[in-house]
Amino acid sequence: MGIPVFFVQLIFENVYTRKMRTVLTGLTIAVTIMTVVAMGILTHSLRQTAISILQTGKADFSIAEKNVSDVLNSSIDEKDLATIQADPGVKSAVGVLVEPVYLDADRPFFLRIGMKPEDTEPFGVNLIAGRLFAADAPDELILGYRAARDLDKTIGDTIQFQDSVYTIVGIYSTGQVFGDAASMLPLVPLQAQLRKPGTITLAFVQVKDQSQIDAVRARIEAALPQLATIRTESDFGQVDRNLELLRAANTGVSALALVIGAANVLNMMSLSVFERTREFGVLRSVGWSRQRILVYVLSEAFMVTMAGAMVGVALGFLVVQFLQDVPTLRGVFTPSYSSDVFGRTLSITFGMAIIGALYPALRAALLRPLTAIRHE
Amino acid sequence: MSEPAAVPAIETRHLSKVFVESNIRAVDDVSFQIAAGEWVALTGPSGSGKSTLLHLLAALDEPTSGEIFVNGRNLRSYGNLDHYRSHEVGLVFQLHNLLPNLSALQNVQVAMVPTRVSRREGTRRAHELLESVGLAARTRLRPPELSGGERQRVAIARALANSPSILLADEPTGALDAAAAESVMDLFDRLRRERHLTILLVTHDPTVAACADRVIHMREGRLLGEGEAVPAARVLIPPRERQAAREAGS
Repeated sequence: MGIPVFFVQLIFENVYTRKMRTVLTGLTIAVTIMTVVAMGILTHSLRQTAISILQTGKADFSIAEKNVSDVLNSSIDEKDLATIQADPGVKSAVGVLVEPVYLDADRPFFLRIGMKPEDTEPFGVNLIAGRLFAADAPDELILGYRAARDLDKTIGDTIQFQDSVYTIVGIYSTGQVFGDAASMLPLVPLQAQLRKPGTITLAFVQVKDQSQIDAVRARIEAALPQLATIRTESDFGQVDRNLELLRAANTGVSALALVIGAANVLNMMSLSVFERTREFGVLRSVGWSRQRILVYVLSEAFMVTMAGAMVGVALGFLVVQFLQDVPTLRGVFTPSYSSDVFGRTLSITFGMAIIGALYPALRAALLRPLTAIRHE
Repeated sequence: MSEPAAVPAIETRHLSKVFVESNIRAVDDVSFQIAAGEWVALTGPSGSGKSTLLHLLAALDEPTSGEIFVNGRNLRSYGNLDHYRSHEVGLVFQLHNLLPNLSALQNVQVAMVPTRVSRREGTRRAHELLESVGLAARTRLRPPELSGGERQRVAIARALANSPSILLADEPTGALDAAAAESVMDLFDRLRRERHLTILLVTHDPTVAACADRVIHMREGRLLGEGEAVPAARVLIPPRERQAAREAGS
């Protein structure tokens, strides 16, 4: 590498020379990026938590009520489950009633999953120890092995959910983290306890022929238009309006961050270009091309923006850690660091730099050398 | 057989520059030639068009009409005038126009950026140039830490960064005291001889013009005539005379 190294050094020198302006602009960018990262991780984590519920069962797709505020508010009549089970392409359709319960301060959303004992096998439940609960036992449950480990419980122990005390009769695994950190109870007693007779929250469907999945989904949605079939993350918006709203808010925050960041970069670079008009004239007079000046100014903006973004990402992580420990949010979400969040952050960072610095960079590049040299 | 005529380093043909906004004809039908290795002073009162002419030759401004040939090549044939500015000519301003946050060395290196010379070679050459202008010990200093004469020397080193064959200087001693001006003129003379440079120096000071081989006078955008300079008061002794005096003394 030759003079490009010196070119980069020059950019560093310019950024370093205007320390205060660089720090203040970088700080603004850091705060906006922090917001983007924290909101992004939070939204993604909540979404992943909700999606995990839908992926608990071993199924080709899940079914929930359409357009509910929260997927756990979904309510499906067991008669509709029978309609689903009657579809010629369906191998099995397991209906479950999912109810979060406050266990303690660290586990405010511990899941109880009600299902019929005969459905545990198609649902993907693998009994590790003990036995299954009886279909009509109001005080028996089986505990996921992660929950058992976490709560330090074993077969024969009891567990209390609010006013109800249950005996642990078995330990299971599903091969799915979320399911293994929950509990399973007989469906009918749970429906009775929750005063939701004949109602389930979700249905998990396996098809006979994998190539017919889309056809089966289409038939079910046509027959039961109040329900939505969910196979991919993108289908999830149909059954959880809250998370969709949160996602929209997240997009709004990102857009706002982009505008705020770009405005700051524009301010910094406009001032810098104005102050250095003569410098650009001199550089043009010694043979620097317009493109080189453009790259020169844009690179300075990128340098400040990237530095601010790096601090912002670190702050975003800290904010997420902090939110996890806020009493009202404890246990609500488990941080999930998606590449999407970082991809979005990177895009916003580049967007800030380009949108903010393009006009000043063009202005610097298009200066007439002689006019620029004479600039006072 | 007769020898082919040498190609002039600089030639203008019917060169004019009109500033449309103010309707001023700053350069008016100017034609002249400067031979390779010649040192020419362009003199005239303020507003006579000498700096405008220099800017046209430096491709910092475009002529309204007429043509400029540099080393036989028409300036209009350059698709990229950036290349012309970085390789063919070196430019020295009255106010040195150094970048204040960069060291003397970096100010010279800045001019090498368009050439893609390696960093090591660029640094070596910048050191060599600063040494040749007498600033070997001051390469790390920034312009505010240098005297006026030293700054102008850095500017000269920058102008020579890419080994141009022509040096264009716009009132290079205008902001210097007599001693510093004399030193800069000495430097011009030495660089001209060492590098076979063609120098066109704009000045309104007849004593500075006296250092050149030839003087071209301008008034109201036109060339008045040319000849040897005869300064009214010799504040500066032309380098060749100083050299002759030294030799006679020894």
